[in-house]
Amino acid sequence: MEVSVGDVVMPGDTVKDITTITKKETIILGPGLRREADTVYAYKAGVLKKTEPAVYYVDSYQKRYVPNRGEHVVGIVTQKGGDIFKVDIGASEQASLSYLAFEGATKKNRPDIQVGDLVFAKLLVASKDMEPELVCVDSHGKEKKLGILSSEGMLFSCSLSLIRKILNHNSPLFNMLAHSQAFEVAAGMNGRVWVKARTIQETIAIATAILAAEYAPLSGIKKLCSDIEKTLLLTQSGNVD
Amino acid sequence: MSANKTKLSKSILEMKFMKRTKEKVEKQQFQEEGEEYFGNELTERMKKDSERFIIEPSYIFCEKLIDGRVSFQGMNPEIERLMEEEQKNECVKAKEKEETDISDEQMAQNWKNYRKMTKTERRYEKSLEKQNNDIEPLSKKPKFLKPQY
Repeated sequence: MEVSVGDVVMPGDTVKDITTITKKETIILGPGLRREADTVYAYKAGVLKKTEPAVYYVDSYQKRYVPNRGEHVVGIVTQKGGDIFKVDIGASEQASLSYLAFEGATKKNRPDIQVGDLVFAKLLVASKDMEPELVCVDSHGKEKKLGILSSEGMLFSCSLSLIRKILNHNSPLFNMLAHSQAFEVAAGMNGRVWVKARTIQETIAIATAILAAEYAPLSGIKKLCSDIEKTLLLTQSGNVD
Repeated sequence: MSANKTKLSKSILEMKFMKRTKEKVEKQQFQEEGEEYFGNELTERMKKDSERFIIEPSYIFCEKLIDGRVSFQGMNPEIERLMEEEQKNECVKAKEKEETDISDEQMAQNWKNYRKMTKTERRYEKSLEKQNNDIEPLSKKPKFLKPQY
């Protein structure tokens, strides 16, 4: 079936807009679309979207993470031994993380990482035939936002579409929540979110807010945040009594 | 195809003046051999490959997602410093865009016109010069003037 932007697409559908465009313009095919000669087929079910200038992709609901190069993920260290750590990132295979891929790490000065630790890392290699490889430094050898996540936080999983929703640069969720409380978040593209706030109650509140945002429209997020704020205040006053 | 073409014999190619042709023939032969060898590995899809499409497997580019590491109200000063820096950089970029009240396209158009103008002007000037020369040619060849101290 032929589909156009904004339609619900199923795997196998051809994208009408692209086949009819004759303009010599480079088209970027995002996730969910693949090309066979000059026809473009969808291979995921979802809504076909287009962003300017000519970026087409399928916005789909998905829980299974498929690694992509350059994405940030939250992983759990599962194995330690030799030169690499094995890290579970929720993909079909465990990723490897070299002990040298940390800021300031040398052969003598190894990073202090135990099995079970959480790391926020970047995917350096992500190919369908190979084991994914992580790094915790940028190209200048600086840690920046990557690295080990402290054990005081809380980790939970959610769908990949929710991650995309909260990480969208137009998403008001984090800024709204920041009005009332201090918190820290590491959200990986693999559907894992690590949250840390001052108290356990606050941490749970943030986590709830993020999970509740999945089904809230953009306009409803403000109400959602204020609701959570109110409940938090009530429980805190209850604890004091 | 090669059957139709008359092939140069080996002995002719060995001659000194046939050096260049020999090189050419060898190159062609090499190409043909390569095509024969790898021809069956070329799929239909590879032949139809066009440069119109770029495949981008990540949502980060498509939806302009931010890095997933944020901190607010002093929870992690290091992260907040980085976030601030990023914001500053963005502001600077936006300002730079604002400062130029003539867009790049306008500028390009302008330059095009300017170039055209100069060309025509040059021609015009040249013709003027000619005319001037015709009307009042220099009466005397300029003499060397001795500098006075």
